[in-house]
Amino acid sequence: MELDTATKPAPAPPPTAQEAPAHPLLEAVELVKHFPIKSGLFGRANAVVRAVDGIDFSLYAGETLGIVGESGCGKSTTARVLMNLIKPDSGNVLLNGRAPGTPELSLKDFRAQVQMVFQDSYASLNPRLTVEDSIAYGPTVHGLSSTDAVRRARRLLDRVGLDPRRFAGRYPHELSGGQRQRVNIARALALEPKVIILDEAVSALDKSVEAQVLNLLLDLKDEIGLTYIFISHDLEVVRFIANRVMVMYLGRVAEIGPTDALYTGGRHPYTNALLGSMLSMNPDERTMEAPLAGDPPNPIDPPPGCRFHTRCAMAESVCSAKMPTLTVTGAGHFAACHMVDPTSGHSKAAA
Amino acid sequence: MVQAVATLPIDDVAIERSPGYWVTVWRRFRRDPVAMVALGVILLLILIAILAPYITPHDPYRGATLRRLRPPGTPGHWLGTDELGRDMLSRLIYGARLSLFMGVTPVFLALFIGSAIGITAGYVGGWVNTILMRTIDIIFAFPSVLLAIALSGAMGAGIVNGLISLTVVFIPPIARIAESVTTSVRGLDYVEAARASGAGALSIVRKHVLGNVLGPIFVYGMSLIAVSMILASGLSFLGLGVRPPEPEWGLMLNTLRTALYTQPMLCALPGIMIFITSISFNLLTDGLRSAMDIKA
Amino acid sequence: MLTYIAKRVIYTLPIMLGVAIVCFLLVHLAPGDPLVSVLPPDASEQLRQQMLALYGFDRPYAEQFIKWLGRAIGGDLGTSIRTNRPVVAEVGKAVSNTLMLAALATVIGFVLGGLFGFVAGSFRDTWIDKVASAISVAGVSVPHYWLGMVLVIIFSAQLGWLPPTGAGPGGSDNWHWDWAHIRHMILPAVTMSVIPMGIIARTVRALVAEILSQEFIAGLKAKGTSSFGIFRHIVKNAAPTALAVMGIQLGYLLGGSILIETVFSWPGTGLLLSDAIFQRDLPLLQGTILVLASFFVVLNLCVDVVQTAIDPRIARS
Repeated sequence: MELDTATKPAPAPPPTAQEAPAHPLLEAVELVKHFPIKSGLFGRANAVVRAVDGIDFSLYAGETLGIVGESGCGKSTTARVLMNLIKPDSGNVLLNGRAPGTPELSLKDFRAQVQMVFQDSYASLNPRLTVEDSIAYGPTVHGLSSTDAVRRARRLLDRVGLDPRRFAGRYPHELSGGQRQRVNIARALALEPKVIILDEAVSALDKSVEAQVLNLLLDLKDEIGLTYIFISHDLEVVRFIANRVMVMYLGRVAEIGPTDALYTGGRHPYTNALLGSMLSMNPDERTMEAPLAGDPPNPIDPPPGCRFHTRCAMAESVCSAKMPTLTVTGAGHFAACHMVDPTSGHSKAAA
Repeated sequence: MVQAVATLPIDDVAIERSPGYWVTVWRRFRRDPVAMVALGVILLLILIAILAPYITPHDPYRGATLRRLRPPGTPGHWLGTDELGRDMLSRLIYGARLSLFMGVTPVFLALFIGSAIGITAGYVGGWVNTILMRTIDIIFAFPSVLLAIALSGAMGAGIVNGLISLTVVFIPPIARIAESVTTSVRGLDYVEAARASGAGALSIVRKHVLGNVLGPIFVYGMSLIAVSMILASGLSFLGLGVRPPEPEWGLMLNTLRTALYTQPMLCALPGIMIFITSISFNLLTDGLRSAMDIKA
Repeated sequence: MLTYIAKRVIYTLPIMLGVAIVCFLLVHLAPGDPLVSVLPPDASEQLRQQMLALYGFDRPYAEQFIKWLGRAIGGDLGTSIRTNRPVVAEVGKAVSNTLMLAALATVIGFVLGGLFGFVAGSFRDTWIDKVASAISVAGVSVPHYWLGMVLVIIFSAQLGWLPPTGAGPGGSDNWHWDWAHIRHMILPAVTMSVIPMGIIARTVRALVAEILSQEFIAGLKAKGTSSFGIFRHIVKNAAPTALAVMGIQLGYLLGGSILIETVFSWPGTGLLLSDAIFQRDLPLLQGTILVLASFFVVLNLCVDVVQTAIDPRIARS
């Protein structure tokens, strides 16, 4: 698929965390979520999967933040913790500076403002409800009468490109994957949210359908003024849709920065390795850099120090000894690598 | 594409509706001749039970000592007379009432209680699940026939005690099925999506869980009716369920045992009724199960 | 594997305790007085109190339960109110009689059920399948106590080939494995085998059909494996589940033998239970049920462990 990057909408006012504009719309503060693994005689938890292990970032109104990383790096857990579907072990999610589930912001109100589209378009629709009932469910929960909710559902179907006369009374199994994902988008829109988290929302679709759905997402964003978190393992798609990109590795942020800066000058060796694994359409541009070898280490027992040092060509002793922190490398661009931290003691650290 | 139909007045247009799940199930079920015959037999039995007072040739309670143990084919008594000279046909017809009632009621009671327990355990999870399901495991640790008979035996004969024992026996398997289907549905994305829309647990259970779990639980319950029919009549056969002189197939089988050598055909009759009912419920369930097995 | 066994055993302990509690409480479900069967209706209040104290029925439930459980673990299930003999002795003899019957019935049921199921599964959706499936549906639908009576009518009353009741000319006390005794076993065992037959046939049919539809069978055929070779593969893959079902069925038959034993007057646990119920011999009732339920729990445990040992993939939680 050749995604024409020229059609990318003008990015929202460059949101640089460094300058910290008024306030971020959504913030993740030191999020940690470990899953205990029960085993042994008495079902004690003698190991934990460190799915999300200290994630910090901000999301600004109007932007699209891409989250990329290999499978198992904690992308989906991050999405679910952000949605408050899973309670974090520690850390906070803040919407406009307020934590959901507090008197200032009830969980229900939070959820009206932050919505999610799941990867599996079939599993995320109740097989016993018609399309319009699935979409109308959320608004009725928030107090809309069922007649009004159904009306809203039909308008939304129309808006996502599905003729309500043909599709409103159908069941999920009668729709194609792309049509179902449009329904899921309509359902997410039904609560008139500010933020939509798209968790691998187009990954399961055929390439041609994927492009149509991506264009729909961009149109909706312009029309309604949405903010997206776009989670994907597909770097091409993320480059097409995101203004900023966050690279995750084993439950931590490796690098975060403006899309162009990151794709053309990644500062974390992991980012470059990931980008190196992308196949360029132009044979001359294909990189000779060593692709990422092997699988990521087990998140049950992540390596000490920098989690990437076991697969990193530039690893030195400091990398296994000390965990790097996010360091500024440019406008709104941060990387968690000892090589960008002059004080780290890494031989390649830029002075 | 997005704008293609954007300006239509879509609030009140007629929409095409697909047949719902149960309509589809019924259409598939209707094409299964064996299951349809089974359904017909069951409906006929129910009709007979309801119309018993109008279609019986004789009073099922009144016998005549002079006409005892007549074989089937006796004029005036097509199916013969029992050990007290009562008309067999009339007693078999009236027997449908108690036998169906004793066989079907416990399953429905158990469906109600067992589903409530299982769905609660499955949806809430955690320690609620542990407590509920471990308790269920204890009752499940008894072989079902033994438990039914032990409970009835301890409480004494009678219709109510029989119903209670059978209900207790059928609660654990239903609760287990309900728990396992609910647990699997709870983990599906559409339930997550419902939670993400801000809905409370009760609303999610009502709108998203029940519709997807009640079908499988119900079919499982249906499959227990055949067992329940045999067990309920078995209790009466032992002298634990329905008491004389009530007409009930299992009890009739018991009292006619004395005629095993003299009138063998006669004492086989009530058993045939139990057999027909039980096999019809089994075939009905098989048909329903395959009709519901819709691969989307 | 050892951890798994230990886990399963530990998991079984609270269930056993629960089973014991249920058995104990069962007696207190009974309406009226636990002594109703031993005391004359006009017994004096003083005598009644003495008897209550003698059997320990005057103590609080918790105390009674702990004492009862302690003795039960030590192998003492109390004394039958009716016969004044130890419950353990009564139950022991009955269990061995029922076990013989149930084991034979399970074997017959397994062989026939396996055969019908295998044939049905191999020739799926042909008339052979339909006939075999019809037999298995009939097997699970037939009221077996009635089937027992029908068999008695045919083979005892009409043909006179086999005895209708009892456990041999010498009664249950001198069982011998000779024809004079074994012929008494045939009708009840065949009757009893109908239930596991139907269930095993259905299980095996589903297993065989599933295995046959898997890709490795096509692979074997492509490789030119003989039909006997394919048969061996099917047996190897279906056997663990079929055997597990058979084990569980043995447990159900042991617990559910009462109806058949009543029809055939077979002196097993079922008949004992029936006596205990109708003569309101509560210690005997309690003891019989406890033994049968414990047996069932242990059998389930064994089936689980053996099944996991054969095929570690199916470690049931």
